[in-house]
Amino acid sequence: MKRRKFLQKSALASTSIMIPAFLKAYQPQQLQNSRSGKVLVIVQFSGGNDGLNTVVPFRNDIYYQNRPSLAVSADDVVKVSDQLGFNPALQALQSLYDDGLMSVVNNVGYPNPDRSHFRSMDIWHTASESNEYLSTGWLGRYLDSNCQGCEAAHSALELDDGLSLALKGAQRKGYAMSDPRQLKKRTNNPLLKHLATQSDHHEEENVAYLYKTLANTYSSADYLFEQSKVYRSTTTYPVTAFGKNLKQIAELISADTDTRIYYVSLSGFDTHANQRNQQERLLKQYAEGMKAFVSDLKKNDLLNDTLIMTFSEFGRRVKQNASRGTDHGTANNLFLIGGDIKRPGFYNEGPDLSKLDKGDLIYKVDFRNVYATILDKWLGSQPNTILNKPFRSMDFI
Amino acid sequence: MENINHLYWRAGFGLGLQEWQDKKNWSVQRAVDHLFAQAKQHSQQALTKDTFAVTTPSMSDAQKAETRKKERRLVVLQSVDWIKRMASTEESPLLEKMSLFWHGHFACQSKTSLLANNQLNTIRQHALGHFKDLVLAIARDPSMIRFLNNQQNKKLKPNENFARELMELFTIGRGNYTENDIKEAARAFTGWSSNLKGEFVFRPGVHDYGRKTFFGKSGRFDGTDIIDMILEKRETAHFIVKKIYRYFVNEKVDEEVIDDLSRQFYDSSYDIGALMRVIFTSDWFYTEKNKGTKIKSPVELMAGMLKSLHIDFENELALVFLQKSLGQSLFNPPNVAGWPGNKNWVDNSTLLLRLNLPAYLFNSQEVNFKLKEEFEAKQKNKVTRRLLAKVDISQLYSLVKGKALQEQLDILSQYLFAQPPTISLPLFQRITRGKTEEEAIQLQLVGLLSLPEYQMC
Repeated sequence: MKRRKFLQKSALASTSIMIPAFLKAYQPQQLQNSRSGKVLVIVQFSGGNDGLNTVVPFRNDIYYQNRPSLAVSADDVVKVSDQLGFNPALQALQSLYDDGLMSVVNNVGYPNPDRSHFRSMDIWHTASESNEYLSTGWLGRYLDSNCQGCEAAHSALELDDGLSLALKGAQRKGYAMSDPRQLKKRTNNPLLKHLATQSDHHEEENVAYLYKTLANTYSSADYLFEQSKVYRSTTTYPVTAFGKNLKQIAELISADTDTRIYYVSLSGFDTHANQRNQQERLLKQYAEGMKAFVSDLKKNDLLNDTLIMTFSEFGRRVKQNASRGTDHGTANNLFLIGGDIKRPGFYNEGPDLSKLDKGDLIYKVDFRNVYATILDKWLGSQPNTILNKPFRSMDFI
Repeated sequence: MENINHLYWRAGFGLGLQEWQDKKNWSVQRAVDHLFAQAKQHSQQALTKDTFAVTTPSMSDAQKAETRKKERRLVVLQSVDWIKRMASTEESPLLEKMSLFWHGHFACQSKTSLLANNQLNTIRQHALGHFKDLVLAIARDPSMIRFLNNQQNKKLKPNENFARELMELFTIGRGNYTENDIKEAARAFTGWSSNLKGEFVFRPGVHDYGRKTFFGKSGRFDGTDIIDMILEKRETAHFIVKKIYRYFVNEKVDEEVIDDLSRQFYDSSYDIGALMRVIFTSDWFYTEKNKGTKIKSPVELMAGMLKSLHIDFENELALVFLQKSLGQSLFNPPNVAGWPGNKNWVDNSTLLLRLNLPAYLFNSQEVNFKLKEEFEAKQKNKVTRRLLAKVDISQLYSLVKGKALQEQLDILSQYLFAQPPTISLPLFQRITRGKTEEEAIQLQLVGLLSLPEYQMC
């Protein structure tokens, strides 16, 4: 705790010269908010991760029958329970699992699943029904709900150059930044710098919106740049873009940055052909990244305030295809990692491979129940209004 | 002059300099007549590249994947051609603008360039015609049939996707039909399919010829009957007019005007051209509250800049990068509901890119922007790139050279903006201090185009 106090002080000291006065004015308040606040990290696997080769039902004959050349052999599986185990590429997760920092929810999906990447990702981002089209994301609507401690534009931060639909609300949007230094460079245009200070007196609503967004873009870019210098992590992360992003997030969290939600993606899970190498390469990046991330946060006593949710837009077909790959499927597993997990281990039973719908897994947990739980118990907001209808809370936190 | 700018930005993509000089003092009536006359002489757009690859069942998975990839690339090239066509002074701006609107309305992800181009030509053909012909043509359009799974809509196993979107998004809107209406409508469209050559085919073998009950009436309806019955409802006219109003006039609707226009639209048997003419010649269209209130879509922004600035890209794939990074890829809308538009276009990332774009183009500056990765494995993804382009400002230079700075700024902003903004003279004095006149004019241009007001039309 002493270390954190020091960090806060140095954060103030180092930012006081650089940032505009109006930002400085609310800084102490911000720090107080973030100190008591919880942090949510979303990890998105893009492309449809094959859940069955991620969490392997290594005692199930049907699994081995359906995947003659793709199944993970029982000998190789990291056996964390007597029925289900991790793909060997997830070895690094075992310690998190053993330490009770992780909950695996099986069979997560939604009614009438869509097998298109774009559409299914939309559904996960907007938390819509599968025949409903929403133009705002679930976290964007959380921002719209006047949530406490999310006044700043960077309250929800995506580690990317572009912003995902999940973080777009009707009134407020999250903030996209792949790298604080690059963003700083992009805000170097002196004319725009000047215009960013001219956000008053625009009558037309949309013009005012553009100026306000510009002003927020600049103040957050400055703030994040300064924050990124407060704490340098000494933990070793995998040398990949994903590892770098996780390190960036850990540094910002450790610097007590006024950001409640972080969003980061790992792409390339669309493994129609020669799945094994591709998927295992990604899973390894993920697991090693997570292990580093968790230990980094633990060092600064921040893990209890952090919840990490990992999802993919769908799982894959039970039966492998002719190209040693798998095609688009439906229900999938979802990981929750953090220091405050109430039901560590496997949250529910693994998939029932004897009961499929046209060769696909049948979902048992609606993903919106997971969202509702996070919104309710972690972010302290009103899930019913944000998700447009009631979803029962679960008890993983 | 302000009315002409407003008209051409809403009914088109602004004006080229020569056009602007010719038309800026025209009456609205004259300009509207000219826009409609141009639209009558429209031409079909040719395929960018004449190759047309379809996957066939006999292909291996790898061949299929390769073919699809090739086609995706051709679709992307086709989108570049379309943007250039929007900006061309040879084409009808009104027709291209209407087509862009309908493309967002009948939103469809096209898998091949032939399908994409055919659908667009179909839309062009009916864009200012009768709405019924347009809906019917879309219902028979192979790209839409594939996108909304009507290939799989068969008597023994109906697929409701097309029937649902037809009512929910394309014609009458939620709350005006029942789930049973959808089921019955789906039966009426069974067998409306397409072949491998990308043509519409009716497959009698899988069509359901039985009696259906739709909107309380019973009969052996087919798809055409269903469309007729949907258009018999006044709610359909209201739904379409409201969408057109929000796109062409103001996202904040004036219910009285909408009611009035809906009546006219219904009574004219859904004559789209007549409706648009009423809108563009009405006094309320030119009131202050309706001017400069719309945030340009990325495609409107690009087409507009191409039109007013003579931008010559060294590599036209720059227009693909901009579509993707700014969030509007033609022939690839996010879903069947189309692009949500307006404030949805703008977040910190897209705004910074939009406002930096003039500097990137004029200075060939490095753009540091990584596109969101595709779902597939091992995508190469360039992080930095330069939007190498020649911007020919010689005409604009001759227009304002020798004049005082204030006057130069006035003239340039009258030309460039749908609604000229308030401009801070000291700011531009600072920017242009100590520069040669040519440099100063270029800096003025970059400055004006970087104003948030330039994003508006």
